[in-house]
Amino acid sequence: MRREDVQPLLFRAADRLPEPDLADAAWAEGVAVRQRRRRTVLIGLVTVVAMAIIAAVLVEVGSDGNADITPPNNLPTNRPEYIPPSGQIAGIDFWVAPPPGSERFLDRLETPLGDRLQLPGRVKPLSEHKLDRIAAVVLAKNGASYEPFLLGSNASWSLAKVRLVPVDGVAPLSSGAISPDGRVVAFLQPGKLVTVDASTAEITDYDLPGGDLRSVSWLTDGQRILVSGLGVTYRVLVGEGGYNEPPVVRIEGSEDPDAATAPFRIETRAVLRYLAAGQWTEDSPLALPVQAWVGQTFSSASDGGTARLFVAQTLPQVPTRVSRAQVVAAISTLRTLPSRLLVLGEPLDSPPQGSDGAADHPFVREPGCCAVLGWYDEGNVLVRVHGWIVAWNLDTGRIRRVTELAVDTVALGPGLRP
Amino acid sequence: MRDTVDPEFASYVDARQGRWLRTAYLVYGDLERAEEMLLRAFTRLSLRWTKVDDPDAFVQRLLYQPALKPWNRVKAFVDEDDPVKLALAELTAAQRTVLVLLHLEELTEFEVADLLGLSHTAVHAHGLTAFSRFRTALGAGERRDAP
Repeated sequence: MRREDVQPLLFRAADRLPEPDLADAAWAEGVAVRQRRRRTVLIGLVTVVAMAIIAAVLVEVGSDGNADITPPNNLPTNRPEYIPPSGQIAGIDFWVAPPPGSERFLDRLETPLGDRLQLPGRVKPLSEHKLDRIAAVVLAKNGASYEPFLLGSNASWSLAKVRLVPVDGVAPLSSGAISPDGRVVAFLQPGKLVTVDASTAEITDYDLPGGDLRSVSWLTDGQRILVSGLGVTYRVLVGEGGYNEPPVVRIEGSEDPDAATAPFRIETRAVLRYLAAGQWTEDSPLALPVQAWVGQTFSSASDGGTARLFVAQTLPQVPTRVSRAQVVAAISTLRTLPSRLLVLGEPLDSPPQGSDGAADHPFVREPGCCAVLGWYDEGNVLVRVHGWIVAWNLDTGRIRRVTELAVDTVALGPGLRP
Repeated sequence: MRDTVDPEFASYVDARQGRWLRTAYLVYGDLERAEEMLLRAFTRLSLRWTKVDDPDAFVQRLLYQPALKPWNRVKAFVDEDDPVKLALAELTAAQRTVLVLLHLEELTEFEVADLLGLSHTAVHAHGLTAFSRFRTALGAGERRDAP
């Protein structure tokens, strides 16, 4: 065999092979390989960065395995104006309010109420001067009846053209009379409920079943009002209701006419949450030394805060001489936020004595003088004290004066806020 | 790298795949393996299609060098009765590769040495031995009898 004979033999041996078609397959495989490589590079980079971070952390950790973390020299401080609490009542931090008579010297919280809330000398009828948001409502006695004066968020007054008669001998104005949107005010009248829409000057009457009804409170939807008396509560539809919803529904009542409020109401043993069916269910337990509740419960628009004032039993933490301590309970319905108490104390020294040796009672915060009027914002509770409205800042514990009261009754609305 | 096949690459592959498949078949002694190795070589080429100076040498190195690796060796031409294939099966992988490249591809010993990463001397020795054993296996006498 010669070398030239090898090639034909090899050709013959490989002669009957199928014709391959590898171009498309090779190119597609190349694209896949390139994508795999990119993915691998990316994963590798991420891994390297992660390992670098872990290595940096491990370097920071001591060789004995303990983190090299030292407590800071300076503990985190609260806001500059923060006042530490005076102690605890029933496990809740409490602050003591400045003594009565010192309100004039407190820092001021600017509101449309001005420095002194008094009836205006001249006022336009509501039909001529409508208001978008009501900041406050006061009643002026005119003979045997009352006239409602409405203060707008722009600090201007309007007079609603409706005559209100006293209910059980007292002015027919509840603290919760103003709707959540600040447009409507509700007044209780014998056998009916009267609403005044400040943006349209429209006055509407809603008939009520008989009964000793004393307070009104709006639901948060602004469409319904809770009307309460001794042992009886009605839910009155004043806006858009559900299909076939009756205008007046009797719901679960209470012996306290001011108790029925929504979305929360504070009771002696629990904070209750209002349900749409007209019932209240326990939201969280409460253990406060309550002798009696005063006024209605007010809840902040958000943040889960709810506040009400109570006359306390004897408090060893806050001794009193001539009166019972009154305490504003600002309860947080969110478990993550703390609840707080504000004790309205007595004068620092002995109160001025009269000729008969009795205390100067107007100077002492007697039970009933004070109540929660609402929330200025999420962090400030508005409290009526003797002759003043003050704002209690929950974050700092500081009290600021809002306005001096030259009127007997007042209800505050969302128009207070800028 | 574009998703659809480059026309120049496609024409390049179409022009060579048949010949190289025959060569790879005789080198590896297994058609399936030869196809697999050829596809792998073309795939590698596609990844560097615009960057390779000599695509032929690039593909042939990838195609034939693995045949020499000890861990790649398998018995060639199993279950074949063609005497030529049986004679090729008698050779070592290096001898078979050198014989096929010298006589089928008609490469010089220097070109084969360059493709396989061997010295020229080694290729020459493999070539002589392979030719001698090949013709003996075919019953054509010793190499020294050849003219």
